[in-house]
Amino acid sequence: MVSLVLAGVGGQGIITVANIVGKAALIEGKNALMTELHGMAQRGGKIVVEVRIGDYKSAIIPARSADIMLAFEELEGARNLSKLKESGVILLNRRMIHPVSLTMKIQDYPERIIAEALSKYKTINVEADQIAMNLGNRRVANTAMVGATFSTGLLNLREESLITAIKESLPEKHWDINTKAFEQGKILPAFETAKVA
Amino acid sequence: MEYDLLLGSEGKIEFLLGNEAVVRGLYEAGVSVAAAYPGTPSSEIGDVLYKLSDRIGIKFEFSTNEKVALEVASAASAGGLRSFVFMKHVGLNVAMDSFVSLSGAGVKGGMVVFSADDPSMHSSQNEQDNRFLGKFARTIVIEPSSPQELKDYIVHAFDISEEVGHPVLIRSVTRISHVRAPVRLGEVKKKNEWKYKKSASLVLLPENAYKAQMSIVNRLEKVRSSKYNAILNSVYGDSSTLIITSGAAYNYIDEALQMLNVKARILKIGLSFPLDQEMILGEVEKAERVIFVEEGGPFLEEQVLSLCAIRSINKKFYGKINGSISTSYEMDVDRVAGFLSEIYGMPFQTKTQNLNLPERAPVLCPGCPHRATYYVAKLAMKQRGIQNAIVPTDIGCYSLGYYEPYQLGDYCFSMGSSIGSSSGFTMEAKERVVSFIGDSTFFHAGIPGLINAYHNDHNFVLVIMDNYVTAMTGGQPTPETTPPFKRVDIESVVRGIGIKNVYSMDPYDLKNSLDTFKKALDSNELAVIISKRECALEVDRKRAPSEAKVFQINQDKCNLCYNCVKNFACAAFYVDEGRVYIDPELCDGCSVCSEPLVCPFNAIEVKP
Ligand code: SF4
Ligand code: SF4
Repeated sequence: MVSLVLAGVGGQGIITVANIVGKAALIEGKNALMTELHGMAQRGGKIVVEVRIGDYKSAIIPARSADIMLAFEELEGARNLSKLKESGVILLNRRMIHPVSLTMKIQDYPERIIAEALSKYKTINVEADQIAMNLGNRRVANTAMVGATFSTGLLNLREESLITAIKESLPEKHWDINTKAFEQGKILPAFETAKVA
Repeated sequence: MEYDLLLGSEGKIEFLLGNEAVVRGLYEAGVSVAAAYPGTPSSEIGDVLYKLSDRIGIKFEFSTNEKVALEVASAASAGGLRSFVFMKHVGLNVAMDSFVSLSGAGVKGGMVVFSADDPSMHSSQNEQDNRFLGKFARTIVIEPSSPQELKDYIVHAFDISEEVGHPVLIRSVTRISHVRAPVRLGEVKKKNEWKYKKSASLVLLPENAYKAQMSIVNRLEKVRSSKYNAILNSVYGDSSTLIITSGAAYNYIDEALQMLNVKARILKIGLSFPLDQEMILGEVEKAERVIFVEEGGPFLEEQVLSLCAIRSINKKFYGKINGSISTSYEMDVDRVAGFLSEIYGMPFQTKTQNLNLPERAPVLCPGCPHRATYYVAKLAMKQRGIQNAIVPTDIGCYSLGYYEPYQLGDYCFSMGSSIGSSSGFTMEAKERVVSFIGDSTFFHAGIPGLINAYHNDHNFVLVIMDNYVTAMTGGQPTPETTPPFKRVDIESVVRGIGIKNVYSMDPYDLKNSLDTFKKALDSNELAVIISKRECALEVDRKRAPSEAKVFQINQDKCNLCYNCVKNFACAAFYVDEGRVYIDPELCDGCSVCSEPLVCPFNAIEVKP
């Protein structure tokens, strides 16, 4: 039984990631639930997706009980910390999307408050956007996050299941680049964890 | 192909969104005709049907509004076919006139009306519980709890509807329609043959309507004694505490009980109107106390309590009527556990923490033509010395104009209400009235209001923001979309009413648009501006990523006047240590910010 919160901003492809994890669970004959909230903005609004694998009926994760947080955007990660349990792990994509309300008032991104909030948890930085950029397609940042999530070992899913789920979720012409993004996402956090430890 | 997984063979298990499971349910049930007006959280049903309809033999259309859609479906069912209409909760208000009468007329082929309610208003203007409307119209009401049940119950609903000759309302909510879960596919039934027979019961003149009232009662009586109660309702657990529940709320109970380490007997109702009275009262009699856990209002609770009053059954009842739990907002495990903990006298604390983080209000997309329209509208009003204009707005992406810095939108509550209310405001208001409506909303419910405004000579400026698509629900077609449909031209509709002051403009052309706005504001009779530019997301969907330009700020030229961030406020701008930048991953390349009306210093340029 494992629960994941995925938080970010509309347009980051978060739902695809959740879908891949859910499908992989199904491939292994496990029950999986996923629920998404994305408000009324088509792009740029806050998004929260919750995924639970195991014998659950509620797709909504109770407060303080998620095992993993996938923060696709830093502020949105911090905003949803109340879902994460104390021993939970944060996979932090180093991406800042400035809320218009701050920009309008000539204010900087609230890096300090975020860093402080995240510091209470075990946080692993994932350069998902960087990986995607290097591979030449910024859209594959998602799949790098899937790789990172896998290598935490908390998902309790097999690599083959995730790869199969990635292929089931995407057209064949994108398989190659997404498998690469998955591979590279996998390596980084292991390295970072070592550093933190 | 996309959505092939919905066509899989019986017994296969797929990871489906609730709304996708609905489409599979329609396929299995042998539905022939479906119609809808898009609305979150029901929209994906239409997106999928639109793509699959040919392959699953369902004739499907996006109708101009929910009432039309319901009538389209009901006619098919009068011809013996199975038909389906779906909408978000508030859409049923629009369809209500036909919906209520439909239960009098009855149906031949099975007919199901699907309502996706939105408790907590994640993307809606209210959280009405449409089970009450189903009961009000005296249709059968069925409540699934999960994507699997959505699919299965749709098939049952069609069977009941056809057996009894009565329409069924299925009530979903955001947390079922927007939940993904494993769904086991079932057998696909054959479709009905078309056979239309004239019948007095389908013409609700007073004489026939009088008889229809009795047939409603008889049909509902048949449901009460049908086998479907046993199929759709279930009960388990051993305890003197009975929890009566239904819909999404059911999903949270087991986990909440576990958290509190207490037990209950759970009665899960799937057929919630008309109720299986004897079974339910039998359970209530055996219990010491009864708790109602429902999503929305006290729907089961009201019905059960009135039955208990008649039978003089006296128990301890807890729910929304006695105020144990509030009728507002959606349920979840924490909320249910909090509610139960007080009844059971067990300690429970929801552990939330409050970080003081800046809000992220919903925003118009980078490149959105509405932003340009709003920018120009504000500028024009300022240049004409119009302060405090009254600004009715409407339902769509553009209602985000309410937020800073535009703050255009101070009266908004239902589809099309901008135009009717504008007429009302002009009756006595000293302020200038300028209102906004989108293209799809204009077709849906704006036209009668505009005819009224012209006919009764109300003087205001109406801006129709025409982006050729129903954008907020994910880009569904509108009456302007071609091919394969016939195109309805907004300007011809407006001119056809007789309105003379009609202006078309391209909002990306700020200078021209500013002049247009000023002309409209100067008019002393009704003026309509049609601001035409395709939705930026649609453009994005159609073009190759390589075609997109990205803009940047030339830091040498930037004078730090901040006009771009303070007044134009594209979501791609950001500020770092006082300097302005454009996030290259967000910029849509629309070029509007590079115009002198936004950046007077010509500091915004294409990134090489
Ligand atoms: S409007 Fe032009 S000069 Fe003013 S802050 Fe923006 S980029 Fe700089
Ligand atoms: S070109 Fe300017 S206005 Fe258009 S999306 Fe890019 S930053 Fe925003």
